[in-house]
Amino acid sequence: MTSRSAAPPWWRNRRYLPWLVQGVVALAVGVVVAFLLSNLLLNLTARGLLLSWSWLGQPAGFDLAESILPFDASLPYWRALLAGLVNTLRVVIAGLVGATVLGTLIGTASFSSNGLLRGLARVYVEVIRNIPLLLQLIFWYFVVFLALPNGTDAIQLPGLVLAKSGLFLGDPQLVNGVWQAPLRFSVEFGALLTGLVVYTAAFNAEVVRGGIASVPKGQWEAASSLGFAPLVTLRRIVLPQALRVIVPGLNSQYISLAKNSSLAVACGFTDLYSVSETTLNQTGRAVEVMLILLGSYLVIDLVISALMNGLNGLVQLKER
Amino acid sequence: MTTPAAVMIEARGVEKWYPNGFHALRGVDLTVHQGEVVVIMGPSGSGKSTFLRTFNALEDFQQGSIEVDGIPLSDDLRQIDAVRREVGMVFQQFNLFPHLSVLDNLTLAPVLVRKLPKQAVQRRALELLDRVGIAEQAHKYPGQLSGGQQQRVAIARSLCMEPRVMLFDEPTSALDPEMVQEVLEVMQGLAQDGMTMVVVTHEVRFARQVAHRVVLMDGGMVVEIAPPEQFFSNPQHERSKQFLRQIG
Amino acid sequence: MAPAPPATLRPGPWQWLRRELFGSRLDGLISIALLGFLLAAALGLAKWAIFQAQWTVISANSTLFAVGRYPLEQQWRLWLLTTLLALATGLSWGLLRALPRSGSSGPPPILWPRNDRWAAAILVLLALWRPLALQLTLAIQLRWWAITALLLLARWAAGRWGQALPPLVRRLIPLIWPLLYLVGMVLISGGLGLVQVAPSDWGGLLLTLLMATFAILLCFPLGVLLALGRRSTLPLLRWGSLLYIEFIRGAPLITLLFLGQNILGFLLPGGLAPDRVWRAAWVLTFFAAAYVAEAVRSGLAAVPAGQLEAARSLGLSMPFALIHVVLPQAMRVALPATVGQFITLLQDTTLLSLIGLLDLLGTARTVMANPAFLGRNAEVYLVLAVLFWCCCAALGLGSRALETRLNPNLAPSR
Repeated sequence: MTSRSAAPPWWRNRRYLPWLVQGVVALAVGVVVAFLLSNLLLNLTARGLLLSWSWLGQPAGFDLAESILPFDASLPYWRALLAGLVNTLRVVIAGLVGATVLGTLIGTASFSSNGLLRGLARVYVEVIRNIPLLLQLIFWYFVVFLALPNGTDAIQLPGLVLAKSGLFLGDPQLVNGVWQAPLRFSVEFGALLTGLVVYTAAFNAEVVRGGIASVPKGQWEAASSLGFAPLVTLRRIVLPQALRVIVPGLNSQYISLAKNSSLAVACGFTDLYSVSETTLNQTGRAVEVMLILLGSYLVIDLVISALMNGLNGLVQLKER
Repeated sequence: MTTPAAVMIEARGVEKWYPNGFHALRGVDLTVHQGEVVVIMGPSGSGKSTFLRTFNALEDFQQGSIEVDGIPLSDDLRQIDAVRREVGMVFQQFNLFPHLSVLDNLTLAPVLVRKLPKQAVQRRALELLDRVGIAEQAHKYPGQLSGGQQQRVAIARSLCMEPRVMLFDEPTSALDPEMVQEVLEVMQGLAQDGMTMVVVTHEVRFARQVAHRVVLMDGGMVVEIAPPEQFFSNPQHERSKQFLRQIG
Repeated sequence: MAPAPPATLRPGPWQWLRRELFGSRLDGLISIALLGFLLAAALGLAKWAIFQAQWTVISANSTLFAVGRYPLEQQWRLWLLTTLLALATGLSWGLLRALPRSGSSGPPPILWPRNDRWAAAILVLLALWRPLALQLTLAIQLRWWAITALLLLARWAAGRWGQALPPLVRRLIPLIWPLLYLVGMVLISGGLGLVQVAPSDWGGLLLTLLMATFAILLCFPLGVLLALGRRSTLPLLRWGSLLYIEFIRGAPLITLLFLGQNILGFLLPGGLAPDRVWRAAWVLTFFAAAYVAEAVRSGLAAVPAGQLEAARSLGLSMPFALIHVVLPQAMRVALPATVGQFITLLQDTTLLSLIGLLDLLGTARTVMANPAFLGRNAEVYLVLAVLFWCCCAALGLGSRALETRLNPNLAPSR
């Protein structure tokens, strides 16, 4: 019989090793972070840019191409950033609605009895997903929206005019060769929204398709044996069940859409990111602007997640 | 036994609490001698699998001591590695590596851990596969075999490390009934060759025919240790009688 | 096996069309409307492409799109690199086909299976058509033809004699890729006796591919480490990885690129901060790592706990158990999602144009700013879209092919 050996050395002791590993990692990360932060502090002090928020109250000195909130160059920076945030929210909310509708249509189209429709839905998804979003946005803006006719050549429908100067809603009038209407959306907004909707819809369509495919085939058969028409079956029987799979999938697509809206700068729309960029260029306040930017997108992400989690709670089957 | 064989596993007062506070083992003692076959039985949740898994440090324990082939299981990682090299383990769910062929399943550990030349290990692996009756499947993948064949490969995989002790954790519980026998026969053959084995199982017939001693565990404690003929025909403890009625 | 249906029941092409397009009255209406729409769109596109579009914007700037402002007298280095790449591709392609999969006892490999004949044919067609379409000079055309011929020759030779190679050489051949990457870096950026070419002179497709491959190669090991940390039992590693992954995934890439350009200079002592191009490359890498980590994590979650237990009880150390048992299985599950992230990464390189780098899209924007090519947006962006689409679709196809190759229709044992 061997007697129990003495305590093992620390480097191969099962009890200490985990702490040792964590300690080393913590030390390494700590050293790197401390190094970076000390440099940051040093460099910022050298340039007189130490963390401060008072500049937010100074007049911005630049104008915004569009804003729902009243804004002009004499208003402070924080008002400019707020106007940018509101513009971001505007495009995100409109984009969520549009991408959901279009995505659902295309996702359900891939279950159509019409082979051509099925094929087109597939082609849509494969084409859109494999082309960079930024390229698509630029395409929509420069090739489509900026090529719209102006003045009397504009596309005119009852109560709606689409021209190079924007989308006019609610009885548009041509005054001195310029369209005017109670409700106007700029082409920048239009291009960004179209691009985001078209792109995100391809991903949403895949989520919807996956959700519908997850419903057992027996459900379709049961419904049709009860005499439901295919569309009724889809809406009343299959979609409610598919939502359990669809809602979590849509969550991440919605967050992507919110983050992708930051590409607005490519089509000249003054969203939060583009205002931040201008602000940084004028003030040099890199750290503060970055904190505002990252914090804003984090909050938007969290709000979307919270809403979708609430929705998820509603659509999950009540199971005892 | 006239001459006392060497002690292979010596467990003394093993106590284990799970992180959630559950007291899984309450002072368990067991001594397994070289060449001995010990069958551990007991209802589910009795701690028999947990106890078996402490022998190769898949589970840790808080109090007591376990020595395997003279190596104490402590917090020393080198000793844990040494014990694992000496102890083979067969799992209920086989746990074959699905991305490797049968032959590679057998040769992986000897080549990596024992640093043996690949050619020699492959020869030995083919011998072992022949011994468990599936030499012709050596180049297939685990997913292409039946459950019984997979479990026999798992036994051969453990043997390929030339262990001094084999642990079996309910090796036939996940098998279809018609495949149980082929696995038990392999295990019986191993026992006849003198392998030291600790087997957690519900197979009464195997325990009767092959075991030298049967251990009944309940509630994290050893209730009774007895030779199989005595255990099955004349159990000493009330709990043992009750258990035998339940499974009989 | 089910008996084949009688010939009369098997749908002919017409019956198939009728069933698929005109199954009901509604389907018929939808089909006619869609066909009309498609026809109109195709006609419009053809009319535009032939009569209105001016493709000289592409051919006049083809060098710019390919390599940016890379100095003309140094471009032979890129031609050499392309030649080496073609050789390596042909060699690997041929060997992949010639060598039987380990352990399988299938039929002996055929030198040119049907898929390969297709691929070779497409390659030849591309090599013939592309220089013509771009109206390249004869000298450059000849180079492209020679490179294509070299690729196919290497493919043929490797397929023909691959099996005769000694096993040691066979095992060393995959190493030509990392080696080639290093050689490529030297060839592109200079050093070792070659004239330095500053990263600010790289551009176009060259920059896009360089950024994408650099980030893909580095983000993968980083992502695997993060995924392992995320699933570690050690709380510090787990929380640290979680914090990093969620921080990165919560921020838009453009803000991080912006951060890299504007704050990295403050974080490092003066002079240590890398060049603008490399800053962007590192941001792309660290960004993609967080997403790859999530893909790998789902793969790790799919590996049963018993696999690690079995490996450990066989005496394998933790690193061995991870490398030889857990990760190969996890990667097989995570492969589609990981390649999906690589495709996204390739697309994300276009964001470099927003921070003033001249990647493919950035180059396009500078070309658009040239008054000589004013209003030629549609031509340029359409060509870029087709180019990106082909690259991304090819990656996707490759991932699916790899998936089937790795999974010889096996059910995993539990």
